[in-house]
Amino acid sequence: MRDVSFSYDKDKNLDNINVDIREGEVILLCGESGCGKTTITRFLNGLIPNFFDGKRQGNVYLNDELISEMPIYEISKNVGSVFQNPKTQFFNVDTTSEVVFGCENLSMPIDDIQNRLDNVVDDFQISHLLDKSIFKLSGGEKQKIACASVSAVHPDILILDEPSSNLDSRSSWDFENIIRKWKSQGKTVVIAEHKLFFLSDVVDRVLFLNNGRITDEWSIEEFRQINHREFGLRQLNLENLTCKRKEYYSDSPEFMELKNFRFHYGKRQVLDIDDVKIPKNEVIAIIGKNGAGKSTFANCLCGLKRSCKGQLIWDNDALKRNDRLKKTYMVMQDVNHQLFTESVLDEVLLSMDDENFELAEEILTNLNLIHLKDAHPMALSGGEKQRVAIASAIASEKEILIFDEPTSGLDLKNMMKVSENLIYLQKLGITSFIITHDYELIMEACSHVLHMDDGRIVDSYKINEEKLKKFFLNSN
Amino acid sequence: MGLGLNFTLDPKTKIIILAILSFMVFNDVSLYISGILVLIPFICLFFSNHKKSAIIYIIAYIAAKYVQIYILPTATGLLAIILITFSYTASRMLPIIMMGYYTITTTKVSEFIASMEKSNIPKDIIIPVSVVFRYIPSVFEEIKLITNAMKMRGFGLNIKSLKNPLKLIEFYMIPILISAVKTADELSAASLTRGLSNPEKRTHLLEVKFTRMDYVLLALTIIGFGIYAFNFLRGVAIA
Amino acid sequence: MSERLNVKDLITVGIFSVIIIVLIFIFGMLGYIPILMIALPILAALICGIPFMLFLTRVNKFGMVTLMGLILGIVMFLSGHTWVPILVFTLCAFIADCILKMGDYSSVKNSIVAHGVFILGVMGNMLPFFIMRDFYLNGLRSSMGADYVNVISPFINTPVLIVLIILTFIVGMASAYVGKIVLKKHFEKAGIA
Repeated sequence: MRDVSFSYDKDKNLDNINVDIREGEVILLCGESGCGKTTITRFLNGLIPNFFDGKRQGNVYLNDELISEMPIYEISKNVGSVFQNPKTQFFNVDTTSEVVFGCENLSMPIDDIQNRLDNVVDDFQISHLLDKSIFKLSGGEKQKIACASVSAVHPDILILDEPSSNLDSRSSWDFENIIRKWKSQGKTVVIAEHKLFFLSDVVDRVLFLNNGRITDEWSIEEFRQINHREFGLRQLNLENLTCKRKEYYSDSPEFMELKNFRFHYGKRQVLDIDDVKIPKNEVIAIIGKNGAGKSTFANCLCGLKRSCKGQLIWDNDALKRNDRLKKTYMVMQDVNHQLFTESVLDEVLLSMDDENFELAEEILTNLNLIHLKDAHPMALSGGEKQRVAIASAIASEKEILIFDEPTSGLDLKNMMKVSENLIYLQKLGITSFIITHDYELIMEACSHVLHMDDGRIVDSYKINEEKLKKFFLNSN
Repeated sequence: MGLGLNFTLDPKTKIIILAILSFMVFNDVSLYISGILVLIPFICLFFSNHKKSAIIYIIAYIAAKYVQIYILPTATGLLAIILITFSYTASRMLPIIMMGYYTITTTKVSEFIASMEKSNIPKDIIIPVSVVFRYIPSVFEEIKLITNAMKMRGFGLNIKSLKNPLKLIEFYMIPILISAVKTADELSAASLTRGLSNPEKRTHLLEVKFTRMDYVLLALTIIGFGIYAFNFLRGVAIA
Repeated sequence: MSERLNVKDLITVGIFSVIIIVLIFIFGMLGYIPILMIALPILAALICGIPFMLFLTRVNKFGMVTLMGLILGIVMFLSGHTWVPILVFTLCAFIADCILKMGDYSSVKNSIVAHGVFILGVMGNMLPFFIMRDFYLNGLRSSMGADYVNVISPFINTPVLIVLIILTFIVGMASAYVGKIVLKKHFEKAGIA
């Protein structure tokens, strides 16, 4: 890249970027949200200027050829891309078609495609995933298919834009293996990421961006030595973290009790909880592999599953489904689905039985949203949307909040804000459950852990670094 | 049973049969004339692991015909109107609806697309149609999520929400549309980086070929249609 | 303006077709109540205004609306509604497209009229029922007597079809107008329209 500057709109997004990327290198682009990482990847895979338009200066070369002069389907022969959201990068309904999609588009002969398919299935060990509906795959499996699919085209360069933000820790380690494989094949890999821990042993060079400029450049050895927090980055080595809240919030915690939470999909039992006691007014992490039943548990706890007959014992009351619906609230992974109105203030008022402007404004002030009260919820950033959802939960006087992956794809700053919000909720007397794969967040905010596997709660304990490390760091 | 496993038709065959069956809606004829056409959806469904639907279909059809022939002449009043509506709709629409059901449930999207590409249908049609099949399940997933979100805020099948149905529609529509716009953008970007805009003709791994089964069913349909058309024309001639 | 449709346009057409199909099918369920079946086009016209107007903000080339009509027709065909909808829907969409082109794809008035015409395409699903009319009436005549038929036949007759078309058209325009308001209220504020 030579003297590249770019702006989508008014603000300059990239400012005078000069980078040489050598063949076979694995490059990490990091920096806060909005620093220009994604924009750089878009230059490399030709989406700028073929798809996104804006004011451009400077040139991007690929083997001495000007990328901006190439039609995008030519670029796609050399550059493969994997994106953040596995839901929206699949064009096909079944996995096999998806893997060969790129090859078919490039009009390769059928025998050749069959060969490539066989090879790639071998390389990525995904034979068990073939001929399946993509709607039945977990996030990690989807991302594997996406990688296999770009790999089948045999590009020399791979561009990854936050590929791990929806992955659990195990799938992240799997992802490391995929990158390693590419590296061993001599491919160039450029990866833009917030989550760093799984990249420590595979990256060669790190570029740090700040406000559209590359302000620092490190080799991986240097990068391991720096203080990541100072640069607003997530931890590279999770071993260094210690938990911040070793004791329960209340001195003598009261307990709630869950009884008989069971749920079936068809004949398959996906949730099977007999009896478990959980401290009230704590921040509780729910951990477990993809498919362990965490989301089902959350849905049942909220009273969203009609056939789940479990009871929640709360202050000596046995709460049935409809009672729980009134007491609980879930902040979904995709918050867009739970914001309905045209302004932030309306969103809060909607949750109240009697509209009370003063109270609503007070809630917004406490969550640092008051300056946005007239803005449209959908125009906000991800973190702000989440806070709006929290505000509406407070307004409807819920006592239990459940967060589904609140920090996926967030940088350090935003992750810290989530953690602050959780502590604020605790002060209001609210119990929070957090379904998460984010070890850093657990260390920051949680005081109790529920470990799920195969629909059961296999462990329920006061926060314990040893146990957590065993789960998060040994998954490979 | 053994037959059921190998019974797959080329998507083209299914579509041709569906198109021919569509003629039935315009005319109502006796069973001996339309018999073959009526049986085709039954055969297709029965031999492709949809035995239950096949049997329900044929029973419903026979019931409709029976009502039409034996009960209607004697029925009076409101009952007659209901019976007429039922029997006429069923005897004309049912075969087509069941054939449509068969076509949609037994055709893999990739098969369908490969078959369209082989028939030289332009990309301008193939791409949106593939997107349609790809995106329909996502929309239903989203509707489910939004319903959950509304339940947690006290909207559901209760008085609070029924008081204002327009609001309810708005609440569903906004998130769905916003995610539609987002998906359109992201999916386009992802497809572009994977060479979808290549002007050359795509190849496809999946082969769709006419088998003996296709010819047999097509022949059956054409014979059935021949009888039907002949009768129709004769009817016109007499009139 | 006369550019060919690119991949993004085609995908946009696909995505919005899905929204409209899902809406028509969900509300089509109501159509199993016989009387409402006749009113299906009006219902469709009522609810499709918002997505259609949002779709139009993404349209600036001739052919996208026509293509959407064709795609909707094909899906109707595949789901057992005969091939009549393909013809009717494409035709209506084509006319709508022409109206939009006359307004250079930016005139609000033209957009509203265009939705009125476009949504008439849903009539394609109904048409077979109207063609069946004679047989329906014959059946009634033999069982209920000619007097009765004379009383009810005006309700399932060509004039009704015409009234239905006009009503659908008007409702379609009204809902497009509402759609425009919703667009202002939500999508422009959210920065995506």
